[in-house]
Amino acid sequence: MMQDRYADPQTTNWPDLVNPMEYTNPTTVDESVYDDDVVRMFFGATVIWGVVGMLVGVTIALQLAWWPANLGLPWTTFGRLRPLHTNAVIFAFAGNICFTGIYYSMQRLLKTRMWSDRLSRIHFWGWQAIIVAAAITLPLGLTQSKEYAELIWPIDIAIVVIWVIFAVNFFGTLATRKVKHIYVAIWFYISFVITIAVLHVVNSLAIPATLFRSYPVYSGMTDALVQWWYGHNAVGFFLTTPFLGLMYYFLPRAAERPVYSYRLSIVHFWSLVFLYIWTGPHHLLYSGLPDWAQTLGVVFSVMLLAPSWGGMLNGLLTLRGAWHRVRTDPVLKFFVVAVSFYGMSTFEGPMMAIRAVNSLAHFTNWVIGHVHSGALGWVGMMTFGTLYWLVPRLWKRELVYPNMATTHFWLATIGIVLYTVSMWAAGLIEGLMWRAVNERGLLASPAFMDIADRLDPFYGLRLLGGLLYFIGAVMMAWNIYRTVAASRAGAPTPSAATAAS
Amino acid sequence: MKQKVERDQILGHEDEADGIKEYDNPLPDWWLGLFWITVIWGVAYLVHYHFIAHRSPEAALAQELADAEIRWATPEAAEAEAELVLSAEAVAEGEGIFRTYCVACHGANMMGGIGPNLLDDEWLHGGTSENIVKTITDGVPAMGMVPWGPVLGAEQVNRVAAYVVSKNAEALGRDPSDALRPSEGS
Ligand code: HEC
Ligand code: HEM
Ligand code: HEM
Repeated sequence: MMQDRYADPQTTNWPDLVNPMEYTNPTTVDESVYDDDVVRMFFGATVIWGVVGMLVGVTIALQLAWWPANLGLPWTTFGRLRPLHTNAVIFAFAGNICFTGIYYSMQRLLKTRMWSDRLSRIHFWGWQAIIVAAAITLPLGLTQSKEYAELIWPIDIAIVVIWVIFAVNFFGTLATRKVKHIYVAIWFYISFVITIAVLHVVNSLAIPATLFRSYPVYSGMTDALVQWWYGHNAVGFFLTTPFLGLMYYFLPRAAERPVYSYRLSIVHFWSLVFLYIWTGPHHLLYSGLPDWAQTLGVVFSVMLLAPSWGGMLNGLLTLRGAWHRVRTDPVLKFFVVAVSFYGMSTFEGPMMAIRAVNSLAHFTNWVIGHVHSGALGWVGMMTFGTLYWLVPRLWKRELVYPNMATTHFWLATIGIVLYTVSMWAAGLIEGLMWRAVNERGLLASPAFMDIADRLDPFYGLRLLGGLLYFIGAVMMAWNIYRTVAASRAGAPTPSAATAAS
Repeated sequence: MKQKVERDQILGHEDEADGIKEYDNPLPDWWLGLFWITVIWGVAYLVHYHFIAHRSPEAALAQELADAEIRWATPEAAEAEAELVLSAEAVAEGEGIFRTYCVACHGANMMGGIGPNLLDDEWLHGGTSENIVKTITDGVPAMGMVPWGPVLGAEQVNRVAAYVVSKNAEALGRDPSDALRPSEGS
């Protein structure tokens, strides 16, 4: 009974289905043709790296609130753990959920198994090996010192190889698809696969000196511009477009409602991918970058507002007729908050890209608040919703602790609010204090420590918020672990047995 | 474009999208409006900034400096006014400044740390009040002593110098006003 419920959506009998006539799944393909083992592997990696990455996040939050947590060892200082956090949450946590969602949804959307099972496995193990290499080299202080592109050149090359393998498999599957129409989620996946390859290769070009050291081919301002062209598009094409793809597949599936507007999806897709590429200079306002290039960054960032909101609208309006289910279904709860924070952070971003606002926000904790409203709100909540939705479909078993998922939702939501609000407050306070002058025209707070001291309570609050968010993630990991174990004890199908990784 | 667009029409390729249906609803008017507003703003801002107002970061900085010149007395003028006084109020104010900015390097007891001891009779840069004011104002950046003049202003530099002079004299059992005599030195 449990098993059948998820085996074939056609026979699904949802008690609270809004309009059963509108949602029938005409898929006649036997689900067993799909390679779901690789989906389960990426799924497991997402959960594990998610917990690890957030644990490191909580650790560096603790270090900022209470310095002795640096432990006085070079390997555990903030400067080395910070890139470990960003690499773990972006490339391990967010990366693995993108692959989980892509492998699950593209096979079904294209009605075909992945082109090559072997390439899928190489992609999986290669990607995890890269993450492990990152987790070893970063604490050792081996770095190229470019944000989000810290990894040393041998790892950079491994990334290229693995990414090309993924791309071949991806486009091979696309070429052998059994349908003609390409659904909008797949367009977003395509932009992810192509753009990340280009960004990574161009930004990482370097001349190796030793096994661990290399010299970038760019220097000075050119290097900075290439770096932030990469950096912002890492946000755009690693943390945004693949997640919009996930939204376009998993949100309507979970809500069982038609996507609000196909037209809107086309317009916002093309405007988004076109505009994103130009916005990098908003990270370099008031720098030595030629002023016209800075203006381009400002202008394209502001124009990015509506295309971003197009995605939010299509997500929220797809829920028309399903809102009553949001109250009871944790998956939809996660999606609603995710899409709302997407809208929030893509409103905040264009504002922060305006010169006058940026001169206040730049270098302050406001940027950290903005980052995490996107990262915890959009990326994290999309991930949790997708994972919870997938569990019963991948393991043919309902969650062992369904209420725990709702508790997770509330912990995460409160955590995000504490995190972002405390960082906005901290950012505004330091930004304003840095520029404040007294009646004689001298700096009102010339001692940097005076300002740093003021931030203590906010660092404490952020730590608390991060801790709640982390605890929620640990609860999810436990819930999923118990569910998978129960599924295997009850129905040890061969495919479920290999799902451990 | 003119005809009324039907709302909530299913497009009909859900069999090619894992059963996900899509409406072909029109773009929300306010959304399209927002998009056009940002595009128009973008073009207008660019043209205005570069071709009409001829703005630049250099020009903005020059403007700010010019405004500051008018709003606040020039440093030279303030310098001329400021002088070292050893009054109780001046020393008390100096103590506050010292606690805030100097203890990190010279120690709460002024006996040194990163920076040298200020209570002994040995001066690297001269022990007259004039020397001390000069050291504090210009700093010794190469050795890690911050130039405090631009940060504190001449008046506060004189206050903190007064505190240093009086504490030093107290520690050595001398009359603080000795240091005011230019002839005396290290
Ligand atoms: C960042 C550390 C640091 C801070 C903060 C600092 N100093 Fe110093 N200071 C030094 C060092 C180092 C020297 C020695 C310079 C040298 O070796 O030439 C020094 C030298 C001096 C001297 C000259 C001592 C001599 O022997 O000639 C005076 C006077 C002085 N500091 C006063 C101050 C006052 C007043 C403040 C606060 C407004 C202050 N310092 C803050 C590091 C500091
Ligand atoms: C438990 C949850 C988390 C906590 C406590 C946390 C904490 C932190 C801290 C303390 C910093 C350093 C801030 C600074 O330098 O002042 C940071 C940076 C960062 N974090 Fe997190 N984080 C968490 C989750 C995440 C997640 C899930 C993501 C992404 C998906 C993420 C992405 C980032 C990024 C991109 C930065 C760098 C920001 C910048 O350079 O401006 N974090 N995080
Ligand atoms: C329309 C969309 C967006 C725009 C225009 C935008 C704009 C900006 C701006 C102006 C900054 C500050 C740069 C600085 O002063 O240093 C910034 C930083 C950042 N944003 Fe956004 N943002 C957008 C959406 C997002 C989203 C959705 C996320 C996350 C999922 C995100 C992640 C980040 C990160 C990680 C940084 C910090 C970069 C760093 O300094 O390390 N942004 N963004």
